[in-house]
Amino acid sequence: MSDKVSSLIDITERAGCADDAWGDFRGFERITLELKQRYHYSLGRQSRFFIELENRRFFATACASCGRVYAPPRPLCPACLQPTTWRELSGEGSLETWSALHFSPGTNADVAALQTPYVLAYALLDGASTLFPHLLRAEGESLRQGMRLRVAYNEGPVSHPIHLMHFAPA
Amino acid sequence: MPSVPVVAAVGCTEIASERRDCNARDLLTDALLDLLADAGMDGLGAVEHGLASYESDHFNMQMTLGAILHDTIGMTPKPSLRVEGGGATGALALRTAWAHIQSGLCDSVLVYGVEKNGRGVSSQTANQLFALSADVDWETAIGGTYTSFYAAMMRAHMAQYGTREEHFAHVAARNRANAAFNPIAQKPMDISIDDVLRSRPVADPYKLLDCSLLSDGAACLLLASEAWAREHVPTFRTRPPVFFTGTGCGTDTMRLGDRHPHITNFRAKQQAAQAAYAMAGIRDPLREIDVAELYDSYSGVEIQAVEDLGWVGRGEGGKTVAAGAFDLDGILPVNPSGGLLGRGAPVGATGILQAIEVTQQLWGLVDERRQVPGAKRGLADTHAGIASISVVNIFERRD
Repeated sequence: MSDKVSSLIDITERAGCADDAWGDFRGFERITLELKQRYHYSLGRQSRFFIELENRRFFATACASCGRVYAPPRPLCPACLQPTTWRELSGEGSLETWSALHFSPGTNADVAALQTPYVLAYALLDGASTLFPHLLRAEGESLRQGMRLRVAYNEGPVSHPIHLMHFAPA
Repeated sequence: MPSVPVVAAVGCTEIASERRDCNARDLLTDALLDLLADAGMDGLGAVEHGLASYESDHFNMQMTLGAILHDTIGMTPKPSLRVEGGGATGALALRTAWAHIQSGLCDSVLVYGVEKNGRGVSSQTANQLFALSADVDWETAIGGTYTSFYAAMMRAHMAQYGTREEHFAHVAARNRANAAFNPIAQKPMDISIDDVLRSRPVADPYKLLDCSLLSDGAACLLLASEAWAREHVPTFRTRPPVFFTGTGCGTDTMRLGDRHPHITNFRAKQQAAQAAYAMAGIRDPLREIDVAELYDSYSGVEIQAVEDLGWVGRGEGGKTVAAGAFDLDGILPVNPSGGLLGRGAPVGATGILQAIEVTQQLWGLVDERRQVPGAKRGLADTHAGIASISVVNIFERRD
């Protein structure tokens, strides 16, 4: 699909300059193209995390060898190269760092619906070894490192199952 | 017998916010003709291998662009390879060329990089596309952008070490000022620290003027054994030889949160620097390096980088940068080209442009207002994502 948005320009004006090696090529055309794709995208071995969000439960994975607890979940412990096991967490934790985005990429319908600024927060959930990134909805509250947060659950339908949750002040 | 490669010749386009008159092939054509003029060569007949560097199939709406570029500049039927590693792509391509020559596979490699990141798509689409290079399951889907990941890192750095917005505003102002002395620079600006602080917020603590540019541009660099360069590159004897003496690469987890509790700095960059220093025989980098191009995708990244490259202690970057230590008249001038903030950042070409600036500094051939007098050794630091891949390349003039 293409729509012609500009026509050849400037040919007469700029062609034929004796010292211009590209004189024959000075005009150009610029068109608009669209590429829309639909993916049947597998969440693979991470799937249970997203399925449990529908049940308002938050799961990480734990490595029996080294004891690390991964949130977001990793099916394979990269340190031990052993399969992990699912472990439910309380969904409470503390705020480690964050950024308020004043510019939205509009990645999907749920992101496009966000009012800017919105807050991307990294939380250390109780019992986890890693920081979990998600949106923090704390309207009117001033954020501080270490403040207590909890996972809050959303009703579907959503554009991506990760939007079945967000963070809120505990 | 393989030898440490030399930079035989360089070429590039001007860097622009949009070159409506050129597609990626045209930009590479211009960069190549610039390289041939620099080399004093009338063709690529003797060059043995091509190496294509571009980041995005999406921006170009073209897969296998490497093969098309190779074809465009008449390199068929010679061997070719595309290297891809996000923002580090150009530096990884140079490192790959280094290995091709060091292994004895060939004596000459043309590394060519190009990107049309400018205004071919809207800023929103550009951010969406760049966000596809984050973890799409966990970071992209929640509306995260690279600006916000970098910003969250910088907030942690500020909280832990007392780094201030004024410190990184210094970088934003200085690199754009340096760009005024670089004829290929996209956006030189004469701005104050207050101008940076007052620019509109994008992802706090980063504001518009803390962010680097989206660019169109191309660059190429001919890497060769010294013997090959002497035989085939007429201008080689007219300039002091510049050797590619060290290259290091490090990696880190894709997601920032997986680096807990080490989220203030770039572990991959520390690893890359140590490997490059060991190869180049550098023990005291702050004294032994004369000029450097650092990957200032955001202004604060330069502060993190001077720490991770081992030039200042952890947490001292902000104050040291703000005191002018890395200005053109400082102890180690950084980003004389203007960097990604001022010269611009056509991704696949960026690492090559950094190496070109360092090489031309060592040749003593840049505008005297940004020339570091008597520079003998230079460093180019390039990374992908939030330094999920980091590359440090070192170049040395040996008269």
